[in-house]
Amino acid sequence: MTEMFSTLYGQNEAQGPPGSSSLGFGPGKPPPPLQPNQVTMAAQMPPQHGDEGPALRKPGAMNEPFYLLRELPVGNELTGNTNLITHYNLEHAYNKFCGKKVKEKLSNFLPELPGMIDCPGTQDGSSLRSLIEKPPVCGNSFSPLTGASLTGFRLHTGPLPEQYRLMHIQPPKKKSKNKHKHHRPQDPIPQGNTHTHTQIQTHHHPTSFETVPCVFTENPSDSDPKKKKKKRDDDPDRKKKKKDKKKKKVRLLC
Amino acid sequence: MAEKFDNLEEHLEKFVENIRQMGIIVSDFQPSSQTGLNQKLNYMITGLQDIEKCRQQLHEINIPLEAFEYIDQGRNPQLYTKECLERALAKNEQVKGKIDTMTKFKSLLISELGKVFPEEMTKYKAIHGDDPPS
Repeated sequence: MTEMFSTLYGQNEAQGPPGSSSLGFGPGKPPPPLQPNQVTMAAQMPPQHGDEGPALRKPGAMNEPFYLLRELPVGNELTGNTNLITHYNLEHAYNKFCGKKVKEKLSNFLPELPGMIDCPGTQDGSSLRSLIEKPPVCGNSFSPLTGASLTGFRLHTGPLPEQYRLMHIQPPKKKSKNKHKHHRPQDPIPQGNTHTHTQIQTHHHPTSFETVPCVFTENPSDSDPKKKKKKRDDDPDRKKKKKDKKKKKVRLLC
Repeated sequence: MAEKFDNLEEHLEKFVENIRQMGIIVSDFQPSSQTGLNQKLNYMITGLQDIEKCRQQLHEINIPLEAFEYIDQGRNPQLYTKECLERALAKNEQVKGKIDTMTKFKSLLISELGKVFPEEMTKYKAIHGDDPPS
């Protein structure tokens, strides 16, 4: 509909008198003077019409006085008028992602992945973009290492230099807000943390060169709430005792 | 489909765990750890072989590059999905508003043209048929 009107008004401006008279816009009025652009357009129009002549002539002849009336385009059933999310059955996905709060950090999406993954990849050269722009050499098959090639992996004993030590340490995990949960001391230690903490807690005996890894239980805050609980438990008892003492004093005075 | 992803995910997790254990061994290396390290190195190679096999099943999967930008920034890629859905809904509402406005304009224009050019509009309606009510 809008295309029809736009073509009508657009070509009428170019054609001038013939168009205006066919639509009945003031047949008695003198035609407006054609501007140079419109003249060139009018000169160009006939060849274009000549190219599309057979297709346009028939409808023009049939649809008098609407000579330039074209058929409406075939309506597409799927338009913006329909809710595309329900059309493509994405309601569940929409509620899942937009209904709830999605956490910002990458470590929330991949909680079991070790290392500092929340840092931008450009800092340590581990970005996926660089992998796409400079893909590694592929095509060679993976063959297991033989004894001769394994000699290159003979390492010196002792700890790593300090500049390489922090690569495997995970970011500190947030403590849960619910401190009153009783199952806290029984929380299973995540598998990823035992080894990292063994790394931190190795003890070097002065007499031998062997290291004795010890397991570090990740419960530094467990003692604090217990102590706090004890204090809180003590406080109401203390208050009761104080009240009782006051009552006794009052009775004695009376 | 989900099985292919589960298979790949499992292999990747094992691979990452193996690498992590290698890092622990290497960080404070002892002579007795050499055999374990060699074993881990070969596990790493078999892990890469397993991941290579998974690649053949997933060659038709396309991932938008914008999701990679989220990962490179250390952000949750689910935020990309969320923003896509929100943008789609906003655009859907915008287009629906345009369609509704144009439909109302069409009906109003036809009614007004019918008042000014009644004969022409009856001819037009005869050609195009009665327009559906907006």
